[in-house]
Amino acid sequence: MSAPGTLAMVRLFARQELVLAVRSRWTPIFAVVFAALSLAVGFSGYIVTGGFGMQDFARTAVSLVQLVLLLVPLTALLIGVMALAPERGAAELLFAQPVPRATVLVGKLVGLFEALAAAQLIGFGAAGLTVFSQAGETGAGGFLLMVAGSLALTAIFLGIAALISVGNVGRRARALAIALVVWFVAVVLFDVAILGVATLLRSGHASRLLVTAVIVNPVDAVRTGTLLGIEGSAAFGAASLAFFRITGGSTAAAAYLLVSVGAWLVVPTVLAVRRLERADL
Amino acid sequence: MKPSLLAVVALGYGVVASAQIHDGTPGLIEGRPEIRAASPLQQLIDASPPGGRVEVAPGTYTGDLMIDKPLRLIGRGRPRLVGSGTGSVIRVRAADVVIDGFDIDGRRGGDLTRDTSGVHIAADRVTVRDCRISEALFGIYIRDAMGVVVERCSIRGIPGRDPGEKGSGIHAYNTSGTRFTDNEIDDVRDGLYLQNSSNGEIRGNLVRRVRYGLHYMFSDDNVFEDNTFEYGDAGTAVMYSERIVFRRNRFVHNRGFASVGLLLQQCDDVLAEDNLIADNARGIFIEGTNRTTLRRNIVAESDVAIVQFASAQGTRIEGNSFLGNMSPLSLVGKRVDTVFDGNYWSENPEPDLDGDGRTDRPYRLSSVFDHFRGNLTAADLFVDGFAAASLGVAEQAFPILQLTEAQDRAPLARPPDLSAVPRPRIEARQSAASPMALSAAAFAVGASVLARGRRARAHKRGGGA
Repeated sequence: MSAPGTLAMVRLFARQELVLAVRSRWTPIFAVVFAALSLAVGFSGYIVTGGFGMQDFARTAVSLVQLVLLLVPLTALLIGVMALAPERGAAELLFAQPVPRATVLVGKLVGLFEALAAAQLIGFGAAGLTVFSQAGETGAGGFLLMVAGSLALTAIFLGIAALISVGNVGRRARALAIALVVWFVAVVLFDVAILGVATLLRSGHASRLLVTAVIVNPVDAVRTGTLLGIEGSAAFGAASLAFFRITGGSTAAAAYLLVSVGAWLVVPTVLAVRRLERADL
Repeated sequence: MKPSLLAVVALGYGVVASAQIHDGTPGLIEGRPEIRAASPLQQLIDASPPGGRVEVAPGTYTGDLMIDKPLRLIGRGRPRLVGSGTGSVIRVRAADVVIDGFDIDGRRGGDLTRDTSGVHIAADRVTVRDCRISEALFGIYIRDAMGVVVERCSIRGIPGRDPGEKGSGIHAYNTSGTRFTDNEIDDVRDGLYLQNSSNGEIRGNLVRRVRYGLHYMFSDDNVFEDNTFEYGDAGTAVMYSERIVFRRNRFVHNRGFASVGLLLQQCDDVLAEDNLIADNARGIFIEGTNRTTLRRNIVAESDVAIVQFASAQGTRIEGNSFLGNMSPLSLVGKRVDTVFDGNYWSENPEPDLDGDGRTDRPYRLSSVFDHFRGNLTAADLFVDGFAAASLGVAEQAFPILQLTEAQDRAPLARPPDLSAVPRPRIEARQSAASPMALSAAAFAVGASVLARGRRARAHKRGGGA
């Protein structure tokens, strides 16, 4: 029997990882929690506010975006590290097989992504049904953009989880702790620090710093891109215009955001693969 | 072309500043049109006895018209009056004239300094009813007159012109006791403009896509109620006027960079009750006023709910509902004697433990994040983020910055029942088939992938057993 091709191997590992992810129960729990929260946001956007609302759709979508930004990086990091940082014995056994390490890692990442994406799609599907039973077609593009952003964040933070795991083979607790720190920095601390530094600078430099920060941090990039896509320049008031002015127009702004997200999609995974190939297990 | 931010700011303040030196002086009063520019209806009018009734058959009548005796000019089957393109289409020069049921086309003619309009009125107790005016510089221009009534008219400006090249929808100069009701005005400079005009009533009008929806200059003792002003630079601008009272209006979707829902400048004793001020860049702008009272209004979904200058004195803001505004208050200058009392603020996290309907502590109308953004526009990029929220929490725990002391002394714990406030006009709230189908598909795909994982697991187990 000839050895299967690389792609087939990746598929095989992906499939196995998907099965493992579903079996671990973390993915189904995430799916249920995410769907429940999405539904709650979708309903409250339209029903709890008592029918008042000028921007029902935009407000609901913005709340959903917040939910995504909080939950998706966290679950991707935790589930990713738990799946990718095996105990030492397991790692030795796995990587002793006649399969390139890169293939194993990429396959596992693909499988995890499939599992998490599927879990999110359930939530988005449920929320979409509630929202679009009331909102009309106008927001469909923004909603799609949000789903895309969420999937991008999933892939980005799985890549980062891989990088963390590869650096901490056999030290799972440490890897999990690092993952939590990374999450806190990306979602909260980075922005606070940037705002702090910005107050010390002259206004021109400060504006450029804030705009750069928003592009460089993947969580901020997805947030900014999605909110601008949904609400247009009303998303951040005058700051939207400052953002477009400093980046050189809305097309250029979109390009910067896409480049940033693209870099975050590729770089951590590539680094993880290279590190794994050199690692002495 | 992308305007520099500075230029945009300058433009925004320019809108406010230029209004202060607004040149509202009317031009000369046009008389009888020349023979070759006159409408065929002119003979009919000249032949009618004073106080008579002139009925006009359906059809198109080209040329201008002067009415210099009291009479009722009634259109049957909506006759079209097409102007000569050189002056005002109908010129009313006698009191007690009624014009009813015409389509009036100004043919983009004339110029602003001559007040060229669809209907030009310089006489008392004139009524214009059920007319549709289009392609005219000014829709209806009224000067030096008492008791003029405009009702159920639709006025559409000249499309594609800059605001500076347009006239107002209805323009009143030196009038008293005018009544403008149930008109629709679109795409003009100011929808309704009143200068040196007192004791007027404005009710049930819809004004959109204008500079200012309603604009008072030096006009005292006016009332406006149940109007909608949307998609303008300002919903309503009250300037240099006293005792303006308004209720149940909608000031909505004024979303431009420097746009305002309600603009109050250099005016005294303004009273606003039960209005809806929503989805504006800035909700209410107050400068140089005395004794403004805002009661039971809903101010929602603005970037900043209230912008107030230190020059505003004796402002009372009570019993309003502030919902989902990015920031509640922006103060220009430090001194504030504004009273905030018993308003509801949707961002107020304080509990009401003693159950008296008010939260237990005053609500401070600025967060540490507002302090940042006050100095730095781009900080708003973070306004919805977790950083802003955590800064707020941290600041409450460790108050290190001396912030403005503006606060609501006894904020409401729950949104008040403001049933008199008009609701937003709901635009197309129906279900959308294809996004719903997509959502259902997403749900199905997600569920099936997870289910397949489960089945594979069961299969594996079966194989192992």
